[in-house]
Amino acid sequence: MLAVMFAAFIIQIVFRYFFNFPVGWAAELSVVMWLWLVLWGAAFVLTDEEEIRFDLLSASVGRRARIIMGIVSGLALVVLYGAALPATYSYVTFMKVEKASYLKVRMDWLFSIYLVFLVAILGRYLWRLSYLVRGREPDRAEPTQTSSGL
Amino acid sequence: MTFASPFAAAVLAIVTLSLLGLPIGHAMIAGSLLYLSMKGLDLGTAAEQLLNGMYTSYLLLAIPLFILAAEFMNSGSIMDRLLRFCNALVGRWRGGLAQVNVLQSIVFASMSGSALADAAGSGKIMQTLMTKDGRYSASFAAALSAVSAVIGPIIPPSIPLVLYALVSDTSIGFLFLGGVVPGLLLGGVQMGLIAAQAKRRGFPVEAPVALRDLPRITWEAFPALMMPVILLGCLYSGITTPTEAAAAAAAYALLISALLYRSIGLRDVYRSLERSARVTVSIGMLIAGALVFNYVVTAENIPRTLAALLQAYDLSPLAFLLCVNLLLLALGCFLEGTTIILVILPVLLPTAQALGVDPVHFGVVAVLNIMIGLVTPPFGLLLFMMVKIANVSLRELVREVLPFLGVMLGALALVTLLPDLVLLLPRLAGYKG
Repeated sequence: MLAVMFAAFIIQIVFRYFFNFPVGWAAELSVVMWLWLVLWGAAFVLTDEEEIRFDLLSASVGRRARIIMGIVSGLALVVLYGAALPATYSYVTFMKVEKASYLKVRMDWLFSIYLVFLVAILGRYLWRLSYLVRGREPDRAEPTQTSSGL
Repeated sequence: MTFASPFAAAVLAIVTLSLLGLPIGHAMIAGSLLYLSMKGLDLGTAAEQLLNGMYTSYLLLAIPLFILAAEFMNSGSIMDRLLRFCNALVGRWRGGLAQVNVLQSIVFASMSGSALADAAGSGKIMQTLMTKDGRYSASFAAALSAVSAVIGPIIPPSIPLVLYALVSDTSIGFLFLGGVVPGLLLGGVQMGLIAAQAKRRGFPVEAPVALRDLPRITWEAFPALMMPVILLGCLYSGITTPTEAAAAAAAYALLISALLYRSIGLRDVYRSLERSARVTVSIGMLIAGALVFNYVVTAENIPRTLAALLQAYDLSPLAFLLCVNLLLLALGCFLEGTTIILVILPVLLPTAQALGVDPVHFGVVAVLNIMIGLVTPPFGLLLFMMVKIANVSLRELVREVLPFLGVMLGALALVTLLPDLVLLLPRLAGYKG
């Protein structure tokens, strides 16, 4: 599904370049696709090993310490993201006053992916906390998997 | 700014959370949320910054497209043709295969914007070729693949330079042109070092390729070699925006690898798309985090305060650049480069401009520096990657990397001291700076 989304927006741009289509809607569509791709992917697709993180310290301490570190950081994330949820909801729903200029879609629909993202990340970290508390080790970062763009 | 200020708390939170192993993008968003709540501001501001920032930056779309283009070009048979072409050119020298490794990286650098993609793609092939029959030691081959991959994002296209263009409002076209000479310089000093070592270490020579075969080999590699020409042509003729040039490059790469060379099928296209999407997502999260955090930095007026502070010291532009180099090299030992570009450079940039440092020069120097950071121990992503690919120990790898690190730092110093190395080509293309 991810790939289909990706292909869709490349086709849009390629078409635009070759045939000089009325460009507004294609450009807008690809920007929307980009936004959704990143937030959707971060929420549901990316595995823990692929994320860009700083693991010099966590790789050098023992298993117990690593679990505790995972619990502390996970808790902090859940608390802060959770606290932001109501305000985010009101921002996103407030955006219904605007519409995208070409696609004629209400902005609150376009931006709703952020709410999905926030809730999904909350869920993911709560789940992660639940197994950390039971003493399972968090996944380690994998050097050949890290998806850095450098 | 007292220690208990919301800003200090936010920075502390980000550093602590990243140290504890949280993904850096999330750590930045979480820290910024902490700042907003301590300031009593609306927490929805984070969402607003992130969504609007992502939604209005059409430029950023170039990043997934460049990744995709490189992914398509990375297929086996294109790499083979490029290797044969490079071998025909420099294989006859002593240490020929080592030279091929560097030259291949230069050529591939003009098609891909990512050092890690370069190392992942050609690193394995070169490792097998170079260690066959024990011609080169495994650690030397791995070290060479790591250091030559550094050239990838200096020669255009370059993902780090796109990121820099985003935070600095500098033209991508001029930045790309500015990277050409430093990139070639980097390749040059690496090849020079190999030539200097070749005799002493008794590097083998490859069977020379007859000159009359050269046209055929070049012809076979020609469509792939045309890719940078098309890319840069689109950019500088002004027909297309950078994003569209990236799209054209991706489309061209797909065209030649799927139809002309028939090196990839539908399955591979799907796999390439998926892999690029995954990379895009993880960079995207970093960008998202940086967008939110940069709002905090701007709200606190940090860049301007710093600029005023440093201006009071009356630094010369050169002294400033040297300080920045040292700072970035130190940071590069511990931090991931994307984070440095997105978070640290925007803070330094106003100072650079106040002191009269050219933003294109500054960007290329900074990116060159950060790329060298990919092979500096203890935290160098390229090192980790080659340890994995070549199955050598980090200690042996680092020992072989060190001499190269030396000459690369020399090249960095040269580029820092002589802005013309960077600015010559952009000026020829009409850059006024």
